[in-house]
Amino acid sequence: MKTAAYLRRFGISGRGLVVALPYLWLLLFFVVPFVIVLKISFSDIDLAIPPYKPLLEWVGKNSLAIKVDFNNYAFLFTDRLYINAFLNSIKVAFISTVLCALVGYPMAYGIARSKPATRNLLLLLVILPFWTSLLLRVYAWIGLLKANGVINNVLIWMGVINEPLTLLYTPFAMYVGIVYSYLPFFILPMYANLEKMDWQLLEAAEDLGCRPWQAFYKITLPLSRNGILAGSMLVFIPAVGEFVIPALLGGPNALMIGRVLWDEFFSNRAWPVASAVAILLLILLVPFMMWYQSVQARESAGAR
Amino acid sequence: MRPFAQQKGKHLMGSVRRMAILVLGCVFTLSACGNHKSASEPAPGSADTDSGKVLNLYIWSDYLAANTLSDFEKQTGIKVHVAYFDTNETLETKLLAGSSGYDVVVPTASYFERQIKAGVYLPIDKSKLSNLKNMDPQLMSKVALHDPDNAHGIIYTWGTNGIGYNGKMIKELLPDAPLDSWRLVFDPAIASKVAKCGISVLDSPAEMMRAVYSYLGKDPNSQKPDDLVQAEAVLSKIRPYIRNINSSEYIEALANGDLCIAVGYNGDVMQARDRAREANKGIEIKYSVPKEGSILWFDMLAIPKDAPNKVSAYAFLNYIMTPQVIADVSNFKRYANGNTASQPLVMDSVKNDPGIYPPLEQRQKLAVQLADSADQTRAITRVWQKFKTGQ
Amino acid sequence: MTTSGGAAVKSAPWKDPSARPYVQVDRVTKAFGDFKAVDDVSLKIYKGEIFCLLGASGCGKTTLLRMLGGFETPTSGKIFIDGEDMTGVPPYERPVNMMFQSYALFPHMNVEENVAFGLKQDRIPKAEIKERVATMLDLVKLGDFAKRKPHQLSGGQRQRVALARSLVKRPKLLLLDEPLGALDKKLREHTQFELISLQDKLGVTFVVVTHDQEEAMTLASRIGVMNHGEIVQAGTPSEIYEFPSSKFVADFVGSVNMFEGKLIEDEPEHVRIASDDMGGTIYVSHGISAPPEAIVWAAVRPEKIFMSTAQPAGTDNVVRGAVQDIAYLGDLSIYLVKLPTGKVVRVTQPNTSRHAEAITWDQQVYLSWDATSPVVVTR
Ligand SMILES: Nc1ncnc2c1ncn2[C@@H]1O[C@H](COP(=O)(O)OP(=O)(O)OP(=O)(O)O)[C@@H](O)[C@H]1O
Ligand SMILES: [Mg+2]
Repeated sequence: MKTAAYLRRFGISGRGLVVALPYLWLLLFFVVPFVIVLKISFSDIDLAIPPYKPLLEWVGKNSLAIKVDFNNYAFLFTDRLYINAFLNSIKVAFISTVLCALVGYPMAYGIARSKPATRNLLLLLVILPFWTSLLLRVYAWIGLLKANGVINNVLIWMGVINEPLTLLYTPFAMYVGIVYSYLPFFILPMYANLEKMDWQLLEAAEDLGCRPWQAFYKITLPLSRNGILAGSMLVFIPAVGEFVIPALLGGPNALMIGRVLWDEFFSNRAWPVASAVAILLLILLVPFMMWYQSVQARESAGAR
Repeated sequence: MRPFAQQKGKHLMGSVRRMAILVLGCVFTLSACGNHKSASEPAPGSADTDSGKVLNLYIWSDYLAANTLSDFEKQTGIKVHVAYFDTNETLETKLLAGSSGYDVVVPTASYFERQIKAGVYLPIDKSKLSNLKNMDPQLMSKVALHDPDNAHGIIYTWGTNGIGYNGKMIKELLPDAPLDSWRLVFDPAIASKVAKCGISVLDSPAEMMRAVYSYLGKDPNSQKPDDLVQAEAVLSKIRPYIRNINSSEYIEALANGDLCIAVGYNGDVMQARDRAREANKGIEIKYSVPKEGSILWFDMLAIPKDAPNKVSAYAFLNYIMTPQVIADVSNFKRYANGNTASQPLVMDSVKNDPGIYPPLEQRQKLAVQLADSADQTRAITRVWQKFKTGQ
Repeated sequence: MTTSGGAAVKSAPWKDPSARPYVQVDRVTKAFGDFKAVDDVSLKIYKGEIFCLLGASGCGKTTLLRMLGGFETPTSGKIFIDGEDMTGVPPYERPVNMMFQSYALFPHMNVEENVAFGLKQDRIPKAEIKERVATMLDLVKLGDFAKRKPHQLSGGQRQRVALARSLVKRPKLLLLDEPLGALDKKLREHTQFELISLQDKLGVTFVVVTHDQEEAMTLASRIGVMNHGEIVQAGTPSEIYEFPSSKFVADFVGSVNMFEGKLIEDEPEHVRIASDDMGGTIYVSHGISAPPEAIVWAAVRPEKIFMSTAQPAGTDNVVRGAVQDIAYLGDLSIYLVKLPTGKVVRVTQPNTSRHAEAITWDQQVYLSWDATSPVVVTR
């Protein structure tokens, strides 16, 4: 009690702490790492520990020199590689998002319309894969897709094909992997949105002359717009930086910005350039994140 | 240097993922991924005083004999905390970030060389290593190309890069295929004919560039931009014939006949050979070191400068150089060691396996892979990106 | 309490066995699991009627209405609309519109778009849609709110939008689920009146669900009183009020004094009941069909009881009591009179004179009623 009173004298109260906690979290896990990465992105590469030069340096006795190197950023525009990688990542993320929406919407819809008891089971099944590591799951896909993998063997056994299909290390495999991995991120917000839906509206629409599909198109779809947007952002934003799945399932020609960043960091040991790529990626994604935020705000305000 | 590459690929991505989180984690507050940190990693630097009672070892997974560590603990009373890495990049990142807390690490020589230049390692006080006399002077002199005077480390194991192949499949397509030459992969006239049965190369730009240089008859460690241009031309011509660019998948693919040619590491190809034999489907995998020359690699034992338990680290290095200890590693893990005194203790089946201990005439064609300059590294990476993606 | 009834149906087709019902509910049951929400209901509703379903909350009114609308499939039985079997006919193919109890307004459309929705669905020319929507919005007094979204409206305004939306399509059969519940008294009466005139104009048949008996009385040509999923009585408002067929109906529709007693005289043209409840005998000037000595209930409406300080003549239908409570309502007053038996009787007296000799608290009074007033029910 005494300590509480003591803390309050400094304006620290339990409630204040609760409010401050998210900010503390953000500071610790977003702002600080971001500032560090930003700092590295402005420094010069060095063969040392750490492998970049400090921004601040004592020169002479009383003077502190700041050396900010913008070349790491300029460099990214000298070679088409980086632009192409960005564009390609966005393309892959976009296609993946569309596929996730096409697969995920009906699933979310089905779950939202099922009985409450089944609903929990279905949601559990959607989340279940998260209990296993992403890597293991992607490896499982390799087992399914490879030349003598499950899918090919089943197809050959059924007599559909004679020669194994080349599935693995193709864009197809990559999209399968991404869609599979990110689907829950679409389904969950989509479900949360559809679950709030007043299904009587569909009855009202049918009563006013809509066939079920018309009612879906005119009522359900526009009303679930925020859910679609939220789910899409949750898929799109991380998918832009996705690297593991294209690396494991896609062909070698899948040029992703995540891979380029990896190469910069590990192959070239160019931490500053890698950081610059990361910062640019962030800047690129900020508009999408802000959009997502506004969609979320609208969604929780309940206005459609 | 590559025990269990199959696992390695998996962990490679794990570590990459970890790294991506490190770099981008701040970006993606929505990050999709779980935490892939392996549970086995002990807290590095768990002993804060150099009491000589603890050792923090960071080594490739599956790279020790079953009794290596337990015997060391029994003999010395030093408790070993062991953690495993799966790529040189993981190790290097930890070392370059500083304060890794490890006492002994196991880098591959080309990485080791650059890390020495970055000031990562403790210069070894050789007077503290009584078993240093057991080491093979010839191999040590090769390592000295990376580390002058062998000042920073000792050899743990060594091996070669070469070509793993399925002779029967190749012969069906091209009866007179040159199985002992880089032409098999890099000559478009030949590669185009054998491409049908599947060619795979390592996804390792620096190592692959050495192979191309050897094929072109150039110094494998050439830093000349001109040479790189020529290498790029070679690579671009054979790109259509390369099925896989991957450093781990080829083991299984070779073993079950999905590939007939794989540029790879001797240890991995041996593993493919053994698997093919076990499967008993008539697939015979062989390993060759191309006659134009190839790479000799070393995995080193070294002590980071900021190692918290240097006394234990010296004790461990000296222990590993005991003939029986390193012979056990070779016998059980089937890697060549650089310890002359241990050779009588190495089993014949290991010693006489040309895939493990290359015959003399092969050894003479081998060169070490010296570290590239930062610019050369970037240039090679770029050429490799172009090769892979066509961009 | 009005008992006039607002029925637009001047004739009484339900009395004509040859008349063809517009809606026929034939032994319909709807079960949710073991629970029968609607239990073996049969009904005939005729063209131009305003049929009110009246009943307590949870008695199955909405469920019955939803089966008419096609949103619920009967577990057994059949529904015919305009002679056609509706089994398997989806809502969008029924000549029916429904106003939902929860309004079910489309939140992403404004008032105008909501009302126009059904017309657009029918591909009616734009100009006509515009005109009909405007007319309808004027009718429900929402002309100024055309551009508002539902969440910007009050409960009553939403209800009016819902009403407008179901009316604008001019369906042959309109199902209204508690259409006026959220309106204030004035607006409710106005809208009731509008509904009746609309019904006159358009010849629509209405089925209106309500739990407000006064509303049912005002609107209905006939009322179906529901209890536990069954229609316990269907009839004109005055039939329901004056001739309730059961204790439940008598009690549910209006207020009533219920005296339990034993049948002591059972003649074709009169009966006499000895009621311990009342502490006297009740003489009823019509016969009933019940076994001798049966336990029956005599229901006497409060307004049919006379109250006096002087003792009336006769012994039947007279009882003495003390005024326990008085509620002055302006046009009339309600008296609660406690009988020696302990039973409290409710009496209403019109305040015919401004300075009447007032009956006050604790005063001893006599209560009496005509022999025609009690309704005797056996269940
Ligand atoms: N889908 C359903 N599943 C199970 N029970 C239901 C369902 N719909 C209605 N019921 C039950 O059927 C009974 C009748 O419901 P209904 O909605 O018809 O009542 P109501 O007469 O309209 O009541 P209110 O005046 O409160 O609207 C209620 O007990 C209700 O709980
Ligand atoms: Mg209801």
